[in-house]
Amino acid sequence: MSSARAKILQAIRAASPATSSGKGPIGAQAAALSARAAATRPERVSGPVDAAFLTRLQDPGIGATTERVATLQDFPDAVRRYLAAQGLAAAVAVQPHPELLALDWSGVETHHHIATDEGAAVGLALGGIAETGSLVFHSSAASPTLFAFLPLHHVVAVRAETLWPWLEDYATALATLPQPRNVNLVTGASGTTDIEGTLVRGAHGPGWLHIVLIGSTNAT
Amino acid sequence: MTAAFSARVDAALASPTLKLAIDRTTGTARSKRAAAMAAWPEFNIARDLGRDIKDHVIENLEHYLVTFEKNAIASGAKVHWAETGAQACAIVVDICRKANAKSVTRAKSMLGEEIGLPHALEEAGIERVETDLAEHIIQLAGDPPSHIVWPALHKTREQVAELFRTHHRDPGALASVEAMVGSARRQLREKFMAADVGISGANFLVADTGAVCTVTNEGNAELTTTPPRVHIVTAGIEKLVPSTAHAMAMLRLLVRSATGAELTQYTTFHCGPKQAGDLDGPEEFHIVLVDAGRTRMLAEGLADMLRCIRCGACLNHCVVYRQIGGHAYGATYPGPMGAVLTPSLSGLEAAQDLPRACTLNGQCQEVCPVAIPLPTLLRGWREKAWQQGFEPATVRWAVALWRFLILRPALYAAASAIGLRLMPLFSRNGWISRLPLAGGWTAHRDMPSPTGGTFLAQYKRRMKK
Ligand code: SF4
Repeated sequence: MSSARAKILQAIRAASPATSSGKGPIGAQAAALSARAAATRPERVSGPVDAAFLTRLQDPGIGATTERVATLQDFPDAVRRYLAAQGLAAAVAVQPHPELLALDWSGVETHHHIATDEGAAVGLALGGIAETGSLVFHSSAASPTLFAFLPLHHVVAVRAETLWPWLEDYATALATLPQPRNVNLVTGASGTTDIEGTLVRGAHGPGWLHIVLIGSTNAT
Repeated sequence: MTAAFSARVDAALASPTLKLAIDRTTGTARSKRAAAMAAWPEFNIARDLGRDIKDHVIENLEHYLVTFEKNAIASGAKVHWAETGAQACAIVVDICRKANAKSVTRAKSMLGEEIGLPHALEEAGIERVETDLAEHIIQLAGDPPSHIVWPALHKTREQVAELFRTHHRDPGALASVEAMVGSARRQLREKFMAADVGISGANFLVADTGAVCTVTNEGNAELTTTPPRVHIVTAGIEKLVPSTAHAMAMLRLLVRSATGAELTQYTTFHCGPKQAGDLDGPEEFHIVLVDAGRTRMLAEGLADMLRCIRCGACLNHCVVYRQIGGHAYGATYPGPMGAVLTPSLSGLEAAQDLPRACTLNGQCQEVCPVAIPLPTLLRGWREKAWQQGFEPATVRWAVALWRFLILRPALYAAASAIGLRLMPLFSRNGWISRLPLAGGWTAHRDMPSPTGGTFLAQYKRRMKK
């Protein structure tokens, strides 16, 4: 197969007009392109980043619900309220994150494996992106990928101080972090429009996503 | 028009449900895109940036391919190269065999369709489970895809219900689209977890991290790529972007153009196999980089087309696609982008009708998020088809006659005046619904009976005033 590699690269060389010599080093060109991105963004994320995040999540196309609590210690209560409001059993798969495991889950049956047909799971996102209302997960021992995809209901805590204003701000941060196997940007509940363009939730991933914002941007 | 193309178009126009099905999905897609663009006045500068990012990558393709390869290998991925679709399929089948795979889940990838991967897996005797809902529907129906974003767009909800009733284990009542989606969810759940290999495509290959970006709304890609022991990516060599930040700029364009959303529900960057401590993820991660005609496009002057990010907007806005649907094109890629790609991928002689099945109204270029001059590229193919003598004899004869007349203005005026006098003979209530030598035109539309003389006659009259 390495001969295929050589042939493809050879064909590229043969087809390409004399490389973009006049345009300076490739890295500088790429950086100049990145610098243009700011002017192309929808002018939306102004003011406090947490408010922008919550506003974005109001969009019905995203299909998420939100609430805000003061501290992570209030998260189990929010989960209990959510389960009761949805008429669900008081049982959840808890993402094996040390901070979640340290919380008081009394009154709720908890387990740390995710089943194929899990009813509800709770998680802690690495952060969020205000521009798009996305949650960010990096796969790790504390954050298995399938927690965001197998449950029917996903209740996720995200700290206000971990919100990035724009997609590019997250990209910049990623470059300084250890690259995980999976970066999952989760923007609302699973949906499909594959049958006659009609939107239906819960295609394969969660049908419900409830986001609990912890604290506020200004308080930190 | 060749007989095969004409037969496919006739079949499409005669279908009682096709037009309705196309209108339902493309209509929604057009209005959602329009709403997204109305909320994004920066679209024009964003599109210039998207075009320039892709052009920059294509100009430095070797650099970015080699950088991507180096970083992917560093992340633990195995990188394979394939000059042709057949080579790529052989590599994938070989990996599946070595993994002793009995069942493979697949997340929709147009490249996979292009290179015939579904067929290759079947031939190898490996169970193939399509996990994208639309791909699942057309797998049950035994149909090829008819749209690059909504492959089952030609199916009405009634037809989907029928398929699920026949093939699903636990279909339930199937009285609503919700119920149909629920039935598919139940049907595919265990398949996701039982597969030995998961296969996906790539929306972007990120050179500076070696990551592969996929976007879906259903979550089927991650359920395809996470549980199995082996994950295989097949990706065209044009899918590169320099960095994650560049991918973000492209995602803004891609998703709004495709569905009108700002971001897909699930945007994932896959980078290497399971890491120490990871509780899930594949043990092996393979990336097959596929040429399959892309370097030829570069050499043939079609570098502009390599910018295409497969958003489908040009299909949704094409008046021809909306009449005849995807299958009439007889190729993996339909619509304007398909009419440019197919002659290059499968040869101009076989695909010569596609560049002609176009009104050159320019809508496709206007909506294209990477500003591909589709009408210009289509005209280029028409010229090539003419030079290579692929035009049918009647067309060559008609053009020769027209050329003869146009070089003789007096004769031209006389001939067109005669034609004009004859046309009303075929009209009824001012409309012509049948015209000799123009049966193809009038079979599915009427034209108004001409009034007021030829253009030149009218022009002369007005200039005198
Ligand atoms: S040609 Fe442009 S509009 Fe058509 S699919 Fe490609 S990127 Fe989208």
